[in-house]
Amino acid sequence: MEKWECTACGYIYDPDVGDPEHDIPPGTPFESLPDDWTCPQCGVGKEFFQKID
Amino acid sequence: MKAIILGNGVAGAMTAKTLRELDSSTEIMIISQEKYPYYPRPNLIDFLAGDLPLNRIFAFPADWAEKQKIEVRLGQEVTALDPARKAVEVDRTGWVQGDKIVLATGASPLLPGIPGIERKGAFSLRTLDDAVSLLEFLAGGPEVVILGGGLLGLEIARAILKRGLKQVTVVEYFNRLLPRQLDEIGARLLQSQLEKMGLRFLLGKEAVEISGKETVSQVRFKDGSFLSAGAVVIASGIKPRLELASKAGLAANRGVLVDDYLQTSQPGIYAAGDVSEHRGRIYGLIPAAFDQARVVAYNLAGQEKKYEGTVPANTLKVAGIFLTSAGQILPEGEGFEVLSRLDEEQGLYKKLVLKDGQLVGAIWLGSKKGSVEITRLVQARKNPGPYKSDLLTDDFDFSRLNNL
Repeated sequence: MEKWECTACGYIYDPDVGDPEHDIPPGTPFESLPDDWTCPQCGVGKEFFQKID
Repeated sequence: MKAIILGNGVAGAMTAKTLRELDSSTEIMIISQEKYPYYPRPNLIDFLAGDLPLNRIFAFPADWAEKQKIEVRLGQEVTALDPARKAVEVDRTGWVQGDKIVLATGASPLLPGIPGIERKGAFSLRTLDDAVSLLEFLAGGPEVVILGGGLLGLEIARAILKRGLKQVTVVEYFNRLLPRQLDEIGARLLQSQLEKMGLRFLLGKEAVEISGKETVSQVRFKDGSFLSAGAVVIASGIKPRLELASKAGLAANRGVLVDDYLQTSQPGIYAAGDVSEHRGRIYGLIPAAFDQARVVAYNLAGQEKKYEGTVPANTLKVAGIFLTSAGQILPEGEGFEVLSRLDEEQGLYKKLVLKDGQLVGAIWLGSKKGSVEITRLVQARKNPGPYKSDLLTDDFDFSRLNNL
């Protein structure tokens, strides 16, 4: 699955890892994250994320 | 319990956010010298480049603090700290008392002690106000000289170039760019790529004066040479803001000293982010500020947590150039093994540093592919076993390491 990078702080969202601290289980694709999910590292919204290959 | 957080950068804001996630009842107050709500500082680069409008640099929605029941006092300066009472004086007037205090006051730009840095046209970039005034000044289209060829200096240079300014020169004291993140081969390759974009470089030069009448007109160097400059941006490092802590008698070296719980020499007073010095180290990096903020929040919430350090990992935020540098990229001492691959034509350079078989450092220049994976391997000190040379190839399948 595709990884996404926070353009503000460089945090990588990896679907294989998820964001368990914020109740996002491993296996959750970026597209399925809730709209109010924010970068766990710097707090910006999903619109700051860019797909990486 | 009431926690007072001094500073509203990534360390302060993320301490507050994490603490609220852990504990819905603790009173949380943030006091911030800047008059703007929280924004991650790297957004200033995108703002400067014209890629991000001013109203979009802020991380949280306008009603965030209210919804989170966090009291945020903007544009207020903490002028004194009473460690015994856990109280802070605001704007030299009233005192606010809490139960715990978090110092997240960050750092200021390290300014060289040379004449002329106060001159009109000399800038540094740390706050949104800095970015706004630099941008206004750049509208006149000056020749720009940037003092400092580190990450921030290069990102600023590229952002200014993107604004359409033609003459942007980066001056570095070392004889290569990014001395902390790159070795000589990598730095040379990066430099030629940046030169193709239109940046100019002067290496191994020490500025001794920013001269001019009212406004800057020249940067003079130790060897007697000079460069004409309509604007100078100083990006030669950061200096933790110690005044408050030192005045209050907190132990400090270059930064405010903290133990593994990120507590300062005064019980109940913690420090996180650029202001803090942990095991002799001041990171000055967002991932470290965040890791520390998290640990502080857990400790404030009564869930004891230790900070074990952060493996520095950097990516350069310059469009079109991919650079990742993680861990120890310049081995010093014995027991190291270095593997590398250079392809100048493709602009590709990869380097791995191993110690006793474990990956402890990596440079990944010119390719985004594998950069996330290699950073993780360095952070985990993974032993790549028989695959160590294969890691350098273009299409290495990192899942092969899972079975080791």
